[in-house]
Amino acid sequence: MDTIFIASGVAVLILMMLTLYRAISGPTAIDRLMAVNVIGTKTTVLLIIIGTVFHWVEMFVDIALAYALLNFIVTIATSRYFQHHKNLCPVGFGLRHRKEETKND
Amino acid sequence: MIWQFDFLILALGVICALASISLKDLLSAAIVFGAYSFLMCLLWTEMGAVDVAFTEAAVGAGVSTVFFLAAVFHTSRIVQPRRRGRMLHKLVGLAAATGIGILLISATADFPNWANPNSPASTHLSPFYITETIPLTGVPNIVTSVLADFRGFDTMFETAVIFVAGLAVVSILGRYGRRLRDYEPSPVGEDVAHQSPIIQAACRIFVPFMQLFALYVVAHGHHSPGGGFQGGVILGASFILVAISYDLRVMQRRLQERRAMLFSSLGVLIYSGIGALCLLMGANFLDYSILHTILPATSPIMARSHGMLGVEVGVALTVMSIMVIIYVNVASYGKSDRGL
Repeated sequence: MDTIFIASGVAVLILMMLTLYRAISGPTAIDRLMAVNVIGTKTTVLLIIIGTVFHWVEMFVDIALAYALLNFIVTIATSRYFQHHKNLCPVGFGLRHRKEETKND
Repeated sequence: MIWQFDFLILALGVICALASISLKDLLSAAIVFGAYSFLMCLLWTEMGAVDVAFTEAAVGAGVSTVFFLAAVFHTSRIVQPRRRGRMLHKLVGLAAATGIGILLISATADFPNWANPNSPASTHLSPFYITETIPLTGVPNIVTSVLADFRGFDTMFETAVIFVAGLAVVSILGRYGRRLRDYEPSPVGEDVAHQSPIIQAACRIFVPFMQLFALYVVAHGHHSPGGGFQGGVILGASFILVAISYDLRVMQRRLQERRAMLFSSLGVLIYSGIGALCLLMGANFLDYSILHTILPATSPIMARSHGMLGVEVGVALTVMSIMVIIYVNVASYGKSDRGL
């Protein structure tokens, strides 16, 4: 039974690696935000999986709950940021067409 | 210990750390740093340090990234180009860093190996805590009893450090002493356009549950991971959520900055006051067992458990209000009128 949980945990971690690629290379901050949000959701699942492997889930449920409760605050804060500062990507970083647009302005 | 998880989490963590220090866009760096904190929390959970993981979960997911965002909001989003230093300066810096690094690495050779059963920590300290915690304090969670009782003096100063951090933020940024009625009314339509009814409605439903959970974490820290620090951060995060989804002013109607300042010092006072009470009653400082003479129907062992609860409440009060104070000052650049 433990093998199944460990295997599923490793699968979640590998999926996390794929989203991490988007978090690190993602051209705009919104891409990164979405990727980190997905990583946060996977963290919640993984915490429960670790708890199951240790045969002591009730110790780990509280942490997973805290993540579930707090994970979206950063998302809301970042969207607040973009309400005031409109450009998704600072000039000269990442998106090439964005740079050209500002040049045309 | 599950080595498959260990390996992957460590690899992901190192990648995240390298990315967050090499990104030139500070907003993205803050977001990627959030992912790093998730991975650290997973690593600690996986090593069985559940209380530490909980603190990282509350701080990393709840407040630290928001603080970074608020700082970026009011300063600059792009790393300033570094001025070309002299070659000599760079060499001196490199030599100093290398020397200190070599010293630190050579010092780690003196440590016992990880999980060495013959190390002093495993032969003297840990067995004492494991065997004596329940007979001496009646608290099942050993971490809480070590934190709040056996090493309560350290934790008192940790609380004081958090209090001083809040004071530092206020003294650098803040204009402490403004009352709510001193704020000028915002221009009509300016802030309202930024508020989303969906987020506000969700937040209104969510915040009470969050605060209830935080109180549970504070009070249940004796039996499960949690305690004053974690619960205090979650409480503070709930107020920060109100401030983000509504407005800083709406949050200040619930918890004014002046009152938060009062609460933060009250928390430290509760902690040190319980210690001083023990001293006055003839026991050592923070030796809660003497409190059984004034608490009704408790044995000295249960008195230690109750004393820990009192201390945790003080810690939670300080942490909550300092988180709110730091957010208010950083997000509004000390003006405490409108946040992010």
